[in-house]
Amino acid sequence: MSSVLRIGLGIAALAVLSLHFFPVGKVVSPTLLLMGLGLVWMTLWARTVKGSRLAAESSNLIASGDLDQAEEQVGLSLRSFSMSKSIKSMSMLNLALIRIAQKRWPDAAILCREVLSPSGGVTENLSKSSRLLLADSLLEMGDLRGTYDALAGLYSHRLTLGEALNLLRVQTDYLVRIEAWGQAVQGIETKVQLVELMPPANSARTQALLALAARRAGRADWANWLIRRVELLADVNEIAKSRPELWELWRKAPEAPAAPPTPGAEAAGDAPDSVV
Amino acid sequence: MFLDVGRLIESSQPRPRQAWGWYALLGFGAVVVAGSYAKSQGAAADQAMSAVLGLLVLGVVVAMSVVAGSAARAQKQEQQRLEAVEELVQLRRWDQAAFTLDTLLSQPTRSEASRLQALIYLASVLARYHRFTDAITVQEYLLEHAQFDPATAHGLKLMRAMAMLHEDHLFDADRAIGELRRESTDSAGLALIEMYRDVKTGHPAEAVEMFNARLPEMRNQLGGRVADAYALAAKSYDLLERESEAANHWEKATLLAPPAELVRRYSELTSINAKYPAAVRPKQGGTP
Repeated sequence: MSSVLRIGLGIAALAVLSLHFFPVGKVVSPTLLLMGLGLVWMTLWARTVKGSRLAAESSNLIASGDLDQAEEQVGLSLRSFSMSKSIKSMSMLNLALIRIAQKRWPDAAILCREVLSPSGGVTENLSKSSRLLLADSLLEMGDLRGTYDALAGLYSHRLTLGEALNLLRVQTDYLVRIEAWGQAVQGIETKVQLVELMPPANSARTQALLALAARRAGRADWANWLIRRVELLADVNEIAKSRPELWELWRKAPEAPAAPPTPGAEAAGDAPDSVV
Repeated sequence: MFLDVGRLIESSQPRPRQAWGWYALLGFGAVVVAGSYAKSQGAAADQAMSAVLGLLVLGVVVAMSVVAGSAARAQKQEQQRLEAVEELVQLRRWDQAAFTLDTLLSQPTRSEASRLQALIYLASVLARYHRFTDAITVQEYLLEHAQFDPATAHGLKLMRAMAMLHEDHLFDADRAIGELRRESTDSAGLALIEMYRDVKTGHPAEAVEMFNARLPEMRNQLGGRVADAYALAAKSYDLLERESEAANHWEKATLLAPPAELVRRYSELTSINAKYPAAVRPKQGGTP
């Protein structure tokens, strides 16, 4: 739609200019017509800029955790006219982020697929982000084949640090789910250094997944070390609640999880022993 | 001087916008005069002027698109450089981050927002180089001259209070801590700063009390940097001559961060680094 409009405006401008060489140009002022076209172009551009501003604002609101307000802004941005496809795609990605935060994975996957569709006109940056979000959503939905396809498309791109961290998080989760323990612990030292740069909750969970992989791959040294780190970084009950297979690290049954390590006990030097 | 704060703050000011409105008004006036003149010279001149004006309008539209596109490209490049600095700071490649920031801030930035972001990174780099007075100068400048969202402003104030403690500006630091406490009561960063102040001023019992009371928040909010809290707790226990607890907490701190990094952050930890064993990190190739 936006491309058609841009091409249409260009053709109209040329047609108006050519009026000077035809008798009809004496009846209708080509200059006035051209000015009218210029006005239309500027109005459409102003609306595009407004849409872009709304998309940027919704990104900030998502980052600050104000999802309701962000969803409202995304709705406005999606409904407004835009001459740029990437602004619409960005708004859709923002909506996918909101759906992921709301744990509505199927909706997020649909939105990401729409952005990645050939008609999406997506830039490389948006393509990378949508693939990561798609892989994350599909993994949560248990669609391992789809997750693999989404991840495979990312290896040909140059990733930013943030994207590389997200990829590592989703990839580790995926490898643990398919029980590819050897691959999960490959280059574990570098992986741990990167995991340390993640936000606290993601960092603790990914280290727990790496610990599980290390234990299954026969790397007890790394498993023990990572388990102890996770115990210092997060509530192990919370982590294992989201990934029940992680209970194995603390050998607790999911039905009756033991009390998490308490800060007071830790401070007194009574941290729970890791059973490995 | 490399990373000369005064120079960088001055030279990075964005250039004032050109007064394009006046040029446009003048151009419009010239077009009106030329149009009237052409009309008075007969139909042929009027038609020729009409064609020229048409081309002129089209030219203006094309020129505006080219200028806007070029400005957008320059803005994008600046944004990419800022993102590169952010990554370098995260990866602790301080020399490269410092060099990029020096280049970026040595000329006017495209936007004030980019400049402020770059100055925030500059403060972090200066603190890393232990140039705390310069870091405080940048932080004071940012807090006085810009409006930030509450989270960013709080982060800046935390960095400033920490820099003040490192520089032994204890009175200023105490005032800054009081201000931070009024703003937020559950800030883990503030708890860490208060622990450091207590260690510096010889109140280890208070530091331990703070650690025990605020550990859950510090763990949730600081992530891996909770290592700092364990390390300061270890130092406090050592000052209280509770050596087994000091050793226990130092081992936990070094489980999360390398001892050299902790000592670099807090020179007060040098003594306990020599006294207590650190956690052993597994080797890549085999068992330790």
